[in-house]
Amino acid sequence: MTRRSKISLSEEELVSALKNREKIAVEALYDMYSSSLFGVISRIITDTATAEDVLQETFVKIWHSFSSYSTEKGRLFTWMVNIARHLAIDKLRSKDFKNQNKNQELENNVTFIDEQRNTVYKPELLGIKDLVQTLKPEQKLILELVYFKGYTHVEAADELGIPLGTIKTRLRMAILQLRKHFN
Amino acid sequence: MEDIKAYIESGILELYVLGDVSPAEKLQVEEMASKHPAIKAELEEIERSMELYAAENAIEPTEHMRDRILNSLVVNLADDNNFPTKAKPVKNNVVTLTPPKQNNFYKYAFAACLALLIASVVVVVNLSNKLDNANTQLIALNSTNQHFTSTVKFMDRQLSVYRDPSFKFIKLNPTVHAPNTASIVVAFNPEKKKVILDMANVDMPKNDKGHQYQLWAIVDKKPVSLGVFDKTDADSVEMKEMGSVVAPQAFAVTLEPRGGSVNPTMDEMMVIGNY
Repeated sequence: MTRRSKISLSEEELVSALKNREKIAVEALYDMYSSSLFGVISRIITDTATAEDVLQETFVKIWHSFSSYSTEKGRLFTWMVNIARHLAIDKLRSKDFKNQNKNQELENNVTFIDEQRNTVYKPELLGIKDLVQTLKPEQKLILELVYFKGYTHVEAADELGIPLGTIKTRLRMAILQLRKHFN
Repeated sequence: MEDIKAYIESGILELYVLGDVSPAEKLQVEEMASKHPAIKAELEEIERSMELYAAENAIEPTEHMRDRILNSLVVNLADDNNFPTKAKPVKNNVVTLTPPKQNNFYKYAFAACLALLIASVVVVVNLSNKLDNANTQLIALNSTNQHFTSTVKFMDRQLSVYRDPSFKFIKLNPTVHAPNTASIVVAFNPEKKKVILDMANVDMPKNDKGHQYQLWAIVDKKPVSLGVFDKTDADSVEMKEMGSVVAPQAFAVTLEPRGGSVNPTMDEMMVIGNY
């Protein structure tokens, strides 16, 4: 099976095609953003099947509520990733998911311990080796908590025992570091 | 410009991009961004870097997810009203409803029932009249029948008396007190000691209300009463059975006060005959 070439459009073209409810826009949307969104979702939800469900829910929600998006409010990805993060966090906190986790407690612990010891091969993390070196540990931690674990900055401050102002500053520094890195 | 710098450095823009702001803060950031190009540019930078950060952390979903998600969206597409719907062939299956025919059945049925009822009543009245007539006739016939039956019975008795050889018939002849034509026939059966008067053979003047005829038998020269009888206008055909007697020498009839007398009034002896 030959690998299908991905469809890519400029953000303006994509947005206008989505507004016109064109089928090609859906394919382009998926090809351009599914991996980034799945990356974020997978960091929040470790169970692959559940993460896939959330990815599907995310695209359905994007499709249905696309009329509420406007370019004036910012980039398309920012809007979409917030949808994905909210759905993922809702799923994580949902009763069903918690019960599911209870039932699989032992198994999860094993995976967790393995992760702690870095014995699990994670190909998706290969590309961020440089980035990991760029960020200081406390910057990495704050990004991890707020961006991937769905903590609000208030909750993160509580969790880490750090004043709110410090959290905000650290978060800003982390993102400035990223900006520097990507430029 | 200091304010703007301080605003940017406060970290609110990062939280805004991460969706970690209150609705009020969100409005405020959007307002500031629209007013100050520097803030808008800063936001752009933050968004872009977060997007790239996410791209760095991207995980490619398995290939089947693409079909699964696109199919689920295409299903939603099909649901979407924005897509032209296939024009449905207009089925001309609308049938004009004709107003229901005026149903006169019940009217006619009612009229027929009424006519039938009237006819029935007439017939019943007629039949009832006929039945009454028939009943009257039947009663008349019955009485006639009874009359005939009794007549036949009487005739039978009469015949049996006349046919019975043991009956002796004694003709009583008129005396000076009676008209010449007067006569009575008495039937006497010595064996049964029966005395029968055939009223058809009583030719006597009519008696008035105060008097009756009395039949006597003369036994050993003494009169024995055998009962009283009347001679009326009506043609009596009775076979009148009188009192019984043994060995009479003669029979005689006298006219006595009604109810009869103990001893005969000899002056009024009408007929007499010897046995």
